[in-house]
Amino acid sequence: MLLEMRDIRKSFSGNLVLRGIDFGLQRGQIHALVGHNGAGKSTLMKTLSGNYADYQGQILIDGVECRLETPREALKRGIAIIYQDFSLVPDLSVADNIGLGREPKGATSWFLAHAELRARSAREAAALGIDLPMDEPVRRLGVAGQQLTEIVRACSQSVRILVMDEPTARLAPAEREHLFVTMRKMADNQGVGIVYISHFLEEVRQVADCVTILRDGRVVETGPSSRYRVDDLARLLVGSTDIATIGAARPATAVGAEVLALEGLSVAGRPGVDLTIAAGEIVGIAGLVGSGRTRLARAIIGDVPSRGVVRVDGRPLARRDPERVAKAGVVMVPEDRKISGLALSSSVEANVVASALGRLLSSFGFIRPGSRGKLASDMIRRFDIRPPDRTMTAGELSGGNAQKVLLARAVAARPKVMILDQPTAGVDVGAKAELHRQIERSADEGAGVLLISDDLDELLGLCSRIMIISAGKVKSVLPSAELTRAQLLSAIS
Amino acid sequence: MNAQDIAPDAPKPDVRSGRMRLLLSTYALSIIFVLLMLAFCLFVPHFATWANFANVLQRNSIIGIVACGMLLMIVTGGFDLSVGAVGAMSSVVAAALIVQISIPVAIVAALLLGVFVGLVNGFFIAKIGINAFVTTLATQVLVTGFLFVCTSAQPVYGVPESFTVLGLGRIGPIPIPTIIFALVALATWALLRFTTLGHYIYIVGGNKTAARLAGINVDRVIMATYAIGGLSAAVAGVVLLGQTNIGQPASAGDWPLTAIAAVVVGGVPLSGGVGQVWSAVLGTLLLGIIANALNLIGVSPFWQPAVTGAVILVAVGLDSYQRKQRETR
Repeated sequence: MLLEMRDIRKSFSGNLVLRGIDFGLQRGQIHALVGHNGAGKSTLMKTLSGNYADYQGQILIDGVECRLETPREALKRGIAIIYQDFSLVPDLSVADNIGLGREPKGATSWFLAHAELRARSAREAAALGIDLPMDEPVRRLGVAGQQLTEIVRACSQSVRILVMDEPTARLAPAEREHLFVTMRKMADNQGVGIVYISHFLEEVRQVADCVTILRDGRVVETGPSSRYRVDDLARLLVGSTDIATIGAARPATAVGAEVLALEGLSVAGRPGVDLTIAAGEIVGIAGLVGSGRTRLARAIIGDVPSRGVVRVDGRPLARRDPERVAKAGVVMVPEDRKISGLALSSSVEANVVASALGRLLSSFGFIRPGSRGKLASDMIRRFDIRPPDRTMTAGELSGGNAQKVLLARAVAARPKVMILDQPTAGVDVGAKAELHRQIERSADEGAGVLLISDDLDELLGLCSRIMIISAGKVKSVLPSAELTRAQLLSAIS
Repeated sequence: MNAQDIAPDAPKPDVRSGRMRLLLSTYALSIIFVLLMLAFCLFVPHFATWANFANVLQRNSIIGIVACGMLLMIVTGGFDLSVGAVGAMSSVVAAALIVQISIPVAIVAALLLGVFVGLVNGFFIAKIGINAFVTTLATQVLVTGFLFVCTSAQPVYGVPESFTVLGLGRIGPIPIPTIIFALVALATWALLRFTTLGHYIYIVGGNKTAARLAGINVDRVIMATYAIGGLSAAVAGVVLLGQTNIGQPASAGDWPLTAIAAVVVGGVPLSGGVGQVWSAVLGTLLLGIIANALNLIGVSPFWQPAVTGAVILVAVGLDSYQRKQRETR
């Protein structure tokens, strides 16, 4: 056995993400790791590549136990990883990036052999049959080119275990095929063990020898990939997680006038999107990571440039930027609450009232006395934010409560349209149910909601219609009553 | 597979005009510099004389030396506000030791002290995690305080007249400080171009996470960079002593901001990851000749800071605006 991981556990600030995972990899094996976002795939692989010093459990390489606490130790043992979010240096050339961290030394170790570095990188790319402009800064390469640079880099280290975290998410079909051939060659000829993380279940069956399914930080099943059909995998992946609070899909009848209309909204030259949302309606967007869901949402509020028309209440928005669009009554709850969502060192109160402050609570630039505290208290009560303390800083909240604050901020602005990007990602079941209730309540109160989510049950349970996006293109918009979970899953992958 | 085929969103005809624009923005500063030189030579009396050039070089060499070290720290994504204090310390310590021991010992001790303060800066920035602004602001005040205590804020006299060769002497027509500046610039260029450390400085400045994941010792790179920054400030301090012959504890207060200005005017963004030595050199000289020309025209020296400020805003503003346009495209 090349690699054996036994009973691996890892928690983030008290939140157990890996709950005792066993994982094995043979020489020359391609082993797929599948699971929903938040199932623990990436965390498990980051543990393997030495990102966390505080994991529990054993890692054995060739039967010998070792602790992998820094990336350096993992690299030394021949473990290389291609990260999902690029770890390239944008202003350095392709050749420099391929050789990152293992630059050939000149006369002494103080000096760098530039010519050799370039030649070696070119050789390594050629060996994989990948053609890249070696002297170009990777900043100017485009996403696929950057992905290929990462792949060459990872493959050319004297690698024994190669981890690929969704390497094909941004590649065109022909490039994918080529990559699979390369992977197979590395496994068969050099005996490299490859861990392959992917959302594309069809691909998994095609390329992997063996598959392990993760759900909620545990291994559900492991077996040869020939044993599973795509819908078997889909079923195992989703499991029977119950979200009891969600009943049948919302009836599409209880809706009012149109509040949001997109007409030919096109981002970065992609085909235009047409969509209308009525007051009281929740419309879902389903798609994989990198499919352009978030970009579309940001295009609506004018945060990324786009072509096309956006109407709110029937009136087209002349110039779109986040401030104007917010004034027109469209609020967005961004995906990452820590990075683009909350002001982490401000109080819960300051965060909750942030969007409402300018328009609802102040006169001539002065905040009306008492109004701010009252609104915050109301919202804390309505959203059951715990602890119910409006002076607490947002950074101290648990994930679920932080997410409630974020949604409360949007609701407090009394929006006509709410755009929610993964509003329940990474929160516990209780908070999730509360968030679902609040989203429905906002819709009942007359807001139109656009809901982006990875959680298919959430989409099916909350939305009246679901728009399916793949590689930046809208495949279809379907009433959710006509969709099953498995259909939806195979539609997006 | 070919990366050009893979990026369909980048239309082909744009590539050439993009190249052109890139070329223009890369050499914009050089072009401005040449045009200004031409204009000054034609229209400013006494500007185009060797005596005047030597004067400009002599006056700006010290800041140039500091700017070379500053460039390295800026490329890692930081900067150093303590270079002035380190320069003053180095000139005072050198003065005191020249009087009491000997010139070589004095110079070596002054330079080592500069390296030491740099290491302290690097330690707090890399290992403890205080940001560069706060760390170097603190060491700047700390070093200045020590200096005042040790000297009772009095200048250190008694350096032999012969030492002024270092600050005021010439080899042929070229001022010695300028030769030292050229050597420092050359060394910095070689460091960035040929050495492993230089390569890592770009990587750390460009993407710290990537550097760490690739197994590069990021902390060590940062500490080494600040040590070199401290060294360059100490070299400048010794040259300063050569000009004044007095170890003055209250000198060099304007070095940090002037050096940062020179590097930034040279087109190096404070965000790190990019920057070349010629930017620091050209930035220094640009600010130098503008001040000199104003002087020769007879503009009151009180106006000079205002002009410098305007130059920084215009030069950096153009660069940043271009960058912003490119990114939102």
